[in-house]
Amino acid sequence: MSTVLNVENLTQRFGGLLALEAVNMKVEEGEIVGIIGPNGAGKTTLFNCITGIYHPAEGTVRMLGTDITGWKPHQVTSLGFARTFQNIRLFSKMTVLDNVIVGMHTRTKTDILSAVLNTKAKRREEKACEEKALEILRIFGMEHLKYEMATSLPYGPQRDLEIARALASNPKLLLLDEPAAGMNESETESLRQTVYRLKQMGYTILLIEHDMKFVMNICERIYVLDNGRLIGEGTPDEVKSNPAVIEAYLGKD
Amino acid sequence: MIDKFSEFLLVHKKLLLCLTLALTAVFPFVFTSQYVIRIATIALMYVVLTLSLNLISGMMGQVSFGHSAFFGIGAYAAALTVTRTGLGAEVSFLAAILLAGVFGALLGLPVLRLKGYYFTIVTMVFCEIIRIVELNWMSVTRGPLGIMAIGKPSFFGFTLRSQTQLYFLAVILVAVAYLVVHNIMNSRIGNAIMAIRDDELAASSMGINVFKYKVMVFVIASMLAGLAGAFYAQYTGYIDPTNFSSVKSNEMLLMVIFGGLGNAFGSFVGAIVLTIIPELLRGLSIYRQLIYGGLLVLLMMVRPQGLFGSVNFKYLGQRMGMGAKEQKGGETK
Repeated sequence: MSTVLNVENLTQRFGGLLALEAVNMKVEEGEIVGIIGPNGAGKTTLFNCITGIYHPAEGTVRMLGTDITGWKPHQVTSLGFARTFQNIRLFSKMTVLDNVIVGMHTRTKTDILSAVLNTKAKRREEKACEEKALEILRIFGMEHLKYEMATSLPYGPQRDLEIARALASNPKLLLLDEPAAGMNESETESLRQTVYRLKQMGYTILLIEHDMKFVMNICERIYVLDNGRLIGEGTPDEVKSNPAVIEAYLGKD
Repeated sequence: MIDKFSEFLLVHKKLLLCLTLALTAVFPFVFTSQYVIRIATIALMYVVLTLSLNLISGMMGQVSFGHSAFFGIGAYAAALTVTRTGLGAEVSFLAAILLAGVFGALLGLPVLRLKGYYFTIVTMVFCEIIRIVELNWMSVTRGPLGIMAIGKPSFFGFTLRSQTQLYFLAVILVAVAYLVVHNIMNSRIGNAIMAIRDDELAASSMGINVFKYKVMVFVIASMLAGLAGAFYAQYTGYIDPTNFSSVKSNEMLLMVIFGGLGNAFGSFVGAIVLTIIPELLRGLSIYRQLIYGGLLVLLMMVRPQGLFGSVNFKYLGQRMGMGAKEQKGGETK
């Protein structure tokens, strides 16, 4: 087993605010790892530092041994990470199918000249993309919605589509930012099944989540962030009984 | 109404396409008036400009108020090539395309890192800078005197002299511009361009090099504008800096918005309609601008996204195709 993600001593400041302080974490291949913490703990900041949206002030991020600290988002994605967003960011004026096809951008090759000349290789690649996209949509049972506009979908399927789009890049690590946010119980349950299925398909997943039940059910290991610092890590049971974690969530006497 | 009309267009796509091509072919032989052919030719040239501006502003969402700068650069490049070296149109067109592309890269590389309004403002300023250079660089552009007696385009020794021949040259240029834009938009690069328009951050998280594509599209659009400029210089035989002012840029943007941001078909409609309307209103002399302005205000009130701004023919076709299949399936049951 290899270490897909290795974060060492990661620190991020916004002006005087210390958003992340010397965070260390690891994700091994095939794992489902959760990050929990109260609002403002720095969870999304951590994601943004890993995926290149922010450039961390200190520390390193490694993907399968490669140092990707300070890389741009598109470079990080081409090397093998893919993410979803807390507030859904689909391509609103594109169809469900095209949203997924955009996700394959790093895995396709057609250059500008072959595009303009509409070469045979380009058309072949396009066809293969469409088939693969449909295959991915099938995982989510959304094949029949392929020609719908992304934003005309209900909330739950929009969340699914974001995951589908991220999967399209065939990532070595899938980062889900609060995938269950705003979902009702049955939607959360179907999401849990989806994530479980993805694990069986061999995907490695790192997810941020507020829904404790969801996290405890699905994750093998959990990191707890509070005020930018890691205050606990371990299996769901270990985390549940960690006094520092209980204090962060429930407060002190 | 537009939706119904768009569906109608799609259903009868082949027939309408053939009809349009046939009409385009016989047009100069039916309307033999030099004046009418001239307007048609200018309208076609504007189609090239509008299509290319639509690629930046509609399809990629980076609104540019400086497109006529590249039109002008192309025109001057071609005019100078023809008058100074006496080389053929194949060289002058190529020079125009290349020089406009180089300037597109020179402007795009520093400026496309800016977002939204900042980019728009810089394009506006760039257009003015280019015009002022054209106005004051006497030794090259002859300033306000302009460049006169630019020879008619001559490809490999064959000179296009008559209005009809030049009209068909414009038709070919439109076809080239349309194919370039259409093929780009129907590829993974087109998908990336639309993704950038919809959400830059999400696009870069999907592995799209946003900056690279912005520069690429900007250069291609500049080259197409340069192509139109080369045609204009050799068609009219005379150019001066007033032809390439920001007023022209605004006109082009107006055509794009009128036809619909992001819709290539809309660019044809916008360019042709907005070239013809002012001519039709010519008889109204002093009221002409008033009525023209009024019509545009009306359009913006009724349909702010432009005539075909909310239509995506590819998606509409896909949905209609699927609808038809479902219906058939239903019938067999």
